[in-house]
Amino acid sequence: MYAFTYHRATGLRHAANLLEKLEDPKILAGGQTLLPTMKQRLASPTNLIDLDKVEGMSEITAAGRSVTIGALTRHNDVHKSPIVQQAIPALAYLAGLIGDPAVRHRGTIGGSVANNDPNADYPAACLALGATIVTNKRKIAADEFFKGLFETALEPNEIITKITFPVPKKAGYYKFRNQASRFALVGVFVAKRPSEIRVAVTGAGSSGVFRVPSFEEALKKRFSPKSLEGLTIPADGMASDIHGSAEYRAHLVNVCARRAVAAADEKTPAE
Amino acid sequence: MAMTMSGEVQLNAPREEVYKKLNDPEVLKACIPGCEQLDKLSDTEFQATSTMKVGPVKARWKGKVTLSDLDPPNGYKISGEGEGGVAGFAKGGAAVALSEKDGGTLLSYNVEAQIGGKLAQLGQRLIAGAAKKMADDFFDKFAKSVNPAA
Repeated sequence: MYAFTYHRATGLRHAANLLEKLEDPKILAGGQTLLPTMKQRLASPTNLIDLDKVEGMSEITAAGRSVTIGALTRHNDVHKSPIVQQAIPALAYLAGLIGDPAVRHRGTIGGSVANNDPNADYPAACLALGATIVTNKRKIAADEFFKGLFETALEPNEIITKITFPVPKKAGYYKFRNQASRFALVGVFVAKRPSEIRVAVTGAGSSGVFRVPSFEEALKKRFSPKSLEGLTIPADGMASDIHGSAEYRAHLVNVCARRAVAAADEKTPAE
Repeated sequence: MAMTMSGEVQLNAPREEVYKKLNDPEVLKACIPGCEQLDKLSDTEFQATSTMKVGPVKARWKGKVTLSDLDPPNGYKISGEGEGGVAGFAKGGAAVALSEKDGGTLLSYNVEAQIGGKLAQLGQRLIAGAAKKMADDFFDKFAKSVNPAA
């Protein structure tokens, strides 16, 4: 690693001030992507602003028909939260599939969402559930938030503080994971909401998470894995690499979507 | 590792004008993603410094941009080669062809890119997407510089 200056933010406002003022800053929110990248010298920010000791950013609360998760909540805490397990079991299940135990105990939901890795799990949940990403400046709907490969609507000096998930009627997630990295080769999150059905796909698209309108339409007629039989999505726009071709990924989107629908119909998601 | 991609853009300007812009250092500088500096070495050679940012990865590159196979106003080849220190190296080129279509110009491109070093090993699952995004960015910005209103 190259030398950098470490700042421990004592509060959100402190962090925001540092972010505004310091040269070439980077927010540290768990560091499960940023730190390995820095160790490989593929990134060398001059100033690191650590949110770890900022209070009140890792709470999980339920209010009305929604669940709000603080940006600094670890994946493992989302996975184990009775509130999340009860209200949106698919989301608790998803958090338990992220990375390995070390990643789940350090990585945070805000960090993952801000990074918008095209293979990450949380973006699919945010998009399918119609989440709202709350920052220190404004509220951003998930539909407006994810802008493609590692790109988000966040301004350079903006910090995610919490994410609000409306509680769906039912939801399911199915992840076909890369055995080495545990990233989603393809992951599909299906949510049946009071007003609509959403199917969000991560891992497959070459520019990040996306929805599949044709699948949503079919599920609206009947919410069953059978409704998706025979439907395909074009390989055009799918990612292609040594782990799988674009055609393979396009095929997996349908397989994963059917399994996600099946999981949504079960009381507890399949492990 | 190597990759290829292609695409086309319809521009609302005559070929001669498009070709001129393709040779204009100011236009190129504005279009090359993350380009901070582009110094002219000769009519067909430039020295470039640019910062590439893909998610957590941020690398500063120094390299050369060369124009070859000049065939005004039908097209040319633009290639770049850069060293990003420990991050690795990257080189690539785009064959650009201009043809008359619908009273304007159809620009088609074929990009070939190669990267090596640490960036290639670690970034494998991201490189194709990132390279495509950069090519798209370049030609998007170029289209805007030709048709400011579009």
